[in-house]
Amino acid sequence: MHTFTYLTDPLYRDLYWPAVLTGLALAGLCSMLSVLVVLKRLAFIGQGVSHAAFGGVGVAAMLGLVGTGTAAAAGGQFGIVLAFCVGAALLIGWLSERGGTEADTAIGIVLVGSMGLGAILLHHARSTQSWESFLFGAIINVGWIDAAIAGGVAVVVLGVLVALRRPLVFWAFDRAVARSLGVNDRAMNLLVMVLLAVTTVTAMKLAGVVLATALLVLPGAIALRLSGRTGAVLGWAGIAALAGVVGGLVLSFELDWPTGPAIVCVLAGLFGVVKGWEGVRGAMGMLRGGRAG
Amino acid sequence: MSDVPPGVAVAYRDVSFAYPSPDRADRRPALEHVSLDVRVGERLGVLGPNGGGKSTLLKLTLGLLDGHSGTISIFGMSPDEARRARVVGYVPQRVEAELAFPLTARQVAEMGAGLGVSAWRGLPRDRREAVGEAMAAVGAEGFADRPIGRLSGGQLQRVMIARALACRPRLLLLDEPTVGIDVAGQQQFAELLTRLHERMALTVMVVSHDLRTVAAGCDRVACLSRTLHSHTDPRGLTPAVLAEVFRHDVAAIFGDVHVDAHAAAGCSDPRHSGEVTRSEER
Repeated sequence: MHTFTYLTDPLYRDLYWPAVLTGLALAGLCSMLSVLVVLKRLAFIGQGVSHAAFGGVGVAAMLGLVGTGTAAAAGGQFGIVLAFCVGAALLIGWLSERGGTEADTAIGIVLVGSMGLGAILLHHARSTQSWESFLFGAIINVGWIDAAIAGGVAVVVLGVLVALRRPLVFWAFDRAVARSLGVNDRAMNLLVMVLLAVTTVTAMKLAGVVLATALLVLPGAIALRLSGRTGAVLGWAGIAALAGVVGGLVLSFELDWPTGPAIVCVLAGLFGVVKGWEGVRGAMGMLRGGRAG
Repeated sequence: MSDVPPGVAVAYRDVSFAYPSPDRADRRPALEHVSLDVRVGERLGVLGPNGGGKSTLLKLTLGLLDGHSGTISIFGMSPDEARRARVVGYVPQRVEAELAFPLTARQVAEMGAGLGVSAWRGLPRDRREAVGEAMAAVGAEGFADRPIGRLSGGQLQRVMIARALACRPRLLLLDEPTVGIDVAGQQQFAELLTRLHERMALTVMVVSHDLRTVAAGCDRVACLSRTLHSHTDPRGLTPAVLAEVFRHDVAAIFGDVHVDAHAAAGCSDPRHSGEVTRSEER
């Protein structure tokens, strides 16, 4: 069993444990944030932000910060990609609110523009890291410094979400009334965009640019199908995120699948099971109703 | 504001506002030179057609819009100051909230009382009591633990009112509160508003395009269609005034709601004198 070997053999410890710890941090981080993303219909914005990361990766590669394995380079790459993603989120917001462009068009423009820029820059940078690993993630790209960043980001983001939960939930639920009671609309908007960007960048090395949003969408989507109560929804989102990450990593270890697609397949499969169970319950309810009639 | 008389809760002085437009030539004012006093403890209805500036006036009062000329004073504060002091409770049209959120009715009502409370503690007792009082005042205790998405239109409205009351405001603003509610529900709403007004000593402003809503539950009615056309006792709303405001003969539509079809200015009945204020064309 490769999973057991990879996690217990000292020869593989530095290769696989950072990915496991990063995945666990992401599961905790995305569990809460994904519920907000789904309820506020931010999935497409999240996709735009995560694709924008590819442009940031291109810039980082041109600066020689990609594939060196040093802590400074990993931190530098994180900072540049994060700045790129935050800039993309702000640009999307500006284009859609003041630039006379519909929101989905603005997202599409920023998404393809960043991907194109990133592709050109990576081509010129001649990075040793494969494009596939940027797009879909790879365990081998996740080092101890990435795990430390993921852990730190998880603590900070979850701390911010808990500390600001009252004004944030109020603003997300009913923006106009929250504003009328002094909640700062622009600050909340910026906060959500930054949290999205930070989480996406953190997820990028493990899940890849294309699929990082899956961790921000699927756990919340699964949880909201299972319950209508706040505490239960957050609990189910955490369980779904953990199952997705752990299941995806095990599939990667055992079947040598790319990590990002493996995680997404597990999460999408869970969503399919939940939807299927809803269908079965609905059919059983109709049958019982038919028999009673 | 030095010219605000005592006993006035909200004072509008020569308020004008136009929404920004890329085409400056097409810029049409939403409000023009509106001056109006809302007395402390009064229930004022703001009546007018769609696009007449009613919601704009309300949003300016809440500090949700910038760029107006003239002044607005709420208990001696600017709209921004009043917003920060949380003296204004606001009940919007229902459709603006995200009803898919996994929240119960009580959790929604608690939102009004939870702002400013540390995230690391629960609601303080006095705020919990305010929420409880608000839920009781609107008759929402029976469905307090039901998910917000499973409430009827009338129940949802009660919860939104409870949320507005939970921060113990001095002024309550309601925007089109009877949209989508049947006749029985509208009657219940009018009775609820009367009970709340008496129980909580509130100043209330109700914005509506429906004369039934404002006539049933308000002490005075301001007729607004970009400018202020009339500001009077509901019984002083003549067919002529209504036609001027709505640009259409609507007295027949409102029919039995309108009590006396005569010119209020020429009436000697003291019940109908009120204050008749007409804005001058500038």
